[in-house]
Amino acid sequence: MDAYQKYLDPRTLARLHGLELRARSIVEGYVAGMHRSPYHGFSVEFAEHREYVPGDDLRYVDWKVFGKTDKIYLKQYEEETNLVCYLLLDTSESMRYKSEQAALSKLEYAQCVAAALAYLTLQQQDSVGLATFDQEVRTLLRPSGNPSHLKQLLHVMEESRADRKTSTGPIFHDLAERLKKRGIVVILSDLFDDVPAMLSGLKHFRHRRHEVVVFHVLDPAELDFPFQRTTLFKGLEQLPDVLSDPRALRKAYLAEFQAFIRQVQLGCRAQRADYVQLRTDQPLDLALSSYLSSRLTRATQ
Amino acid sequence: MLLGLWVHPAMLGWLAAAGVPLLIHLLNRRRHREIEWAAMQYLLAAIRKNSRRLKIEQWLLLAVRTLLVVAIVAAVAEPVLERSGLLTRIGQPTHKVLVMDASYSMAYKPADRSRFDRAKQLAEQIVAESSQGDGFTLVLLADPPQVIVGTPSFAPTEFLGEIAALKITHGGADLAATLAKIEQILQAARREYPRLGQQQVFFLSDLGRTTWAPDATGAAVAEFRERSQRLGDAAVMTVIDLGQSAAENMAVEQLRLADPIVTVGQETQLAAEVRNFGRQPKSRQMLELLIDGRRAADRVIDLPPGGRVTVGFPHRFDAPGDHAVELRLAADLLDVDNHRYLALPVKDQIRVLCVDGRPSGGEFKSATDYLAVALSPAAGQQLRARVRPEVVSERALLDADLTHFDCVFLCDVAQFTDREARVLRSYLNWGGGLVFFLGPQVMADNYNRQLAHPTAEDHRVLPAQLLRPVEEAHYGLNPLQYRHPLVTAFRDQEQAGLLTTPVHKYFKLQVPEKSRAQVAVALDGGDPFIVEEPLGRGRSILVATTADATWTAMPMWPSYVPIVQELLMLATRGQIPEHNVLVGQTLGGLLPSASGQSVDIRLPAGETKRATVTGDGAERYWSFPDTATSGIFQAQGAARPANQATSESFAVNVNTVESDLTQVDAEELSRDVWPGVRYYHRTNWQNSDAAVDAEIVVRSRLHLWLLWLALALVVTESFLTWFTGRQAR
Repeated sequence: MDAYQKYLDPRTLARLHGLELRARSIVEGYVAGMHRSPYHGFSVEFAEHREYVPGDDLRYVDWKVFGKTDKIYLKQYEEETNLVCYLLLDTSESMRYKSEQAALSKLEYAQCVAAALAYLTLQQQDSVGLATFDQEVRTLLRPSGNPSHLKQLLHVMEESRADRKTSTGPIFHDLAERLKKRGIVVILSDLFDDVPAMLSGLKHFRHRRHEVVVFHVLDPAELDFPFQRTTLFKGLEQLPDVLSDPRALRKAYLAEFQAFIRQVQLGCRAQRADYVQLRTDQPLDLALSSYLSSRLTRATQ
Repeated sequence: MLLGLWVHPAMLGWLAAAGVPLLIHLLNRRRHREIEWAAMQYLLAAIRKNSRRLKIEQWLLLAVRTLLVVAIVAAVAEPVLERSGLLTRIGQPTHKVLVMDASYSMAYKPADRSRFDRAKQLAEQIVAESSQGDGFTLVLLADPPQVIVGTPSFAPTEFLGEIAALKITHGGADLAATLAKIEQILQAARREYPRLGQQQVFFLSDLGRTTWAPDATGAAVAEFRERSQRLGDAAVMTVIDLGQSAAENMAVEQLRLADPIVTVGQETQLAAEVRNFGRQPKSRQMLELLIDGRRAADRVIDLPPGGRVTVGFPHRFDAPGDHAVELRLAADLLDVDNHRYLALPVKDQIRVLCVDGRPSGGEFKSATDYLAVALSPAAGQQLRARVRPEVVSERALLDADLTHFDCVFLCDVAQFTDREARVLRSYLNWGGGLVFFLGPQVMADNYNRQLAHPTAEDHRVLPAQLLRPVEEAHYGLNPLQYRHPLVTAFRDQEQAGLLTTPVHKYFKLQVPEKSRAQVAVALDGGDPFIVEEPLGRGRSILVATTADATWTAMPMWPSYVPIVQELLMLATRGQIPEHNVLVGQTLGGLLPSASGQSVDIRLPAGETKRATVTGDGAERYWSFPDTATSGIFQAQGAARPANQATSESFAVNVNTVESDLTQVDAEELSRDVWPGVRYYHRTNWQNSDAAVDAEIVVRSRLHLWLLWLALALVVTESFLTWFTGRQAR
């Protein structure tokens, strides 16, 4: 393993503290030697005002309006950058799960991926926005191409608490309405939810002509179900506890789980969304390369 | 009782182990680990769809494991599904032969019940636990074997009555003969009761070595083993061991009289031999002598382990008639052999008839003159001589009732008629003693024809045939190393002159082959001089020369008186043994002509039974074979006229071979007694008193099936584990 590649290994990342450091490690490891993005976004044309939300670049605050109304509004321009990336991070309780085989919990892994993508995107002068959600949207950071935006993104992500249920369908509909600008919607979630509802949310994104990349973050234990001894499975997200002999159940569980994954995959394909399954014990380069290929697709459209 | 269905009920404690799989299952559930689980909805869905199958699999596996433990434990405990009739072919009626050891070692009483009582109880239990339709037969393992119920009985109540009425014998047991009887019974039952599809033989015995491993050799052993093998193949044989391995026992082995004949006022020696068959020394054991039920003497003795002690009791009888002597040893756990009986006819005088074949007027000229003096040398000096000789001529032989005499001496009698020969033979049969002296008048052909015909064994009177008179001087007799009791008294008594007795003429005698005749004394040339043989119940003695000085100087020799006395003693020897027999031997005798038509036997227990009388006219015999117990038997109406009594006493004693309580152990039984024979050996019943109820009686081959079942369950369990485990792969 080359020196930089080891930073893509979740085990290595787990030893690093702080998302920024992790993100930097990932991206440096992945894109070492790559050229900067050839896409320079620019715009001078004023489009509209909108209310300030934390994380917005203060450079775009319309101080005149502030002087008149004491309210902070931002000036918005057409085509701030040539690429906008929306990172939708699932912070529901199920994302907290971490098996013994994995070095990071699904949430941590997803955070790493999100952070790395944000870093990468910002490095390339593109804009990145972030939404964290469980059964509702917890935080929404508008996309920005400002390198200092990264700090805010990372802060929001680090602050997020995974302790609620998921409800992807309505969230996606909501966000699809709110994310005005076309871009790449990167969903980082285990998607343990009502799949048809989730897919209809995706459809909404596609309707808004977003490019959608679904990073399906799964723990290896969820995929392999390697348990041997009698186990009390304590349900997350208000599901009941179950005491059972996992050996006897393994086959049936795996069938159910594969059916779920297949449903998601088929749904994504139908929506022409990219589906990428991420095992939390695998290096993160898969996530990055998938993203980059999506971005390339977007750029060439 | 449920426990009664197992050979090793104690093993059933391990059935608790059947709970182990369940316990492990529960423990596993208790000792689970806990994890948080995100993908719960898929797990729930899997459970929802599979819960039924999972439950079934789990219970099936648990059941198989539990059953496996149960099967193994049950196999080890060896079930006997006797009661439910599941033995080998379900529901088939069984012919059960109960063989009860009735040898007297079964009277051994280690607790409040004797071995025989236990055997009865077990027999009753076997009957009680049998299924309807089973048939029972009952055989006593005794000597000779007794078939009590020979054809299968289907009435348990009556059969139980037969068991309850069984009495132990005071004899031994003949296993080989008993097996022959059992085989006959089984064969007959198979023929006549074909619906009794199964056959079982139960031996309830203490496995005494004397019964189960008697000293037999060659063909007898081979036949015994073959028969056992046939029995083992035809029937399920079960040996139930009722013995105790370290049983101690003492017995009075012998009660002897030093003299063959006892007269009033004469001091006689009673010698008792006591043996300790145990492994512990026995000290200070009381030994009592009872005469006619009254205590006459006692002695305290110490017995080393396995040792014998001989004790002498001098005694003088004051009254004539039959006396019952009993020697009693302090009671131990087996009392039967602590008593020894002796029926002793005590005579007023010993009456001897001397038949003079050559009477003569002169003093010491006739054939019996010296003899009469030698028989009673002290006559005239004593008020009452011990021996009373009566001299008669040969013609008087038919007139005299010989049964009045203890012994008859025939001296130089020329010849015998048919009738005389018959009288002499019946006298022998009755138990009398005959002593023949020969002489110049003797017609050898007549003697050989009438008295020593080789083809008429039942009518023989002489122990040897007469060949021819030989005239050559001999100055010495050969006592043949003093082996014969006639001459043992002369050992180391050179002055008695036996060795130097001069004989110058004698009959050459020929002892027939295959007879019991013995040469007691020979001439120095090797020719037989005195030949004797027990014939009938009595004894006949033949001396090759004369009783007077015609052919020999013996009557003048110092050896003459002792020789004549010894001849008298030897000739009368038959009387006491005749009255003292072992258990199982037949009592009997010649019925005196004056007596009535019947003889009643009074048994030691007090009851009276009638003896069988055979023959007619002058020769009528009575016999009584039913001597199953030891003690004094009285024969009413069989007394000899000489005894001036109405009854005669007989003593029946145990054969103390049976007193040795050593057992054959399981290994010897399978190795030496019944090699290759299929049988079951039960010993564990005596572990506790309570276990008596658990006495089982049959060992089936069910435990083997259970082991097969266990094996099948192991395979099933492995398959199930693999099958359910397949879900995990």
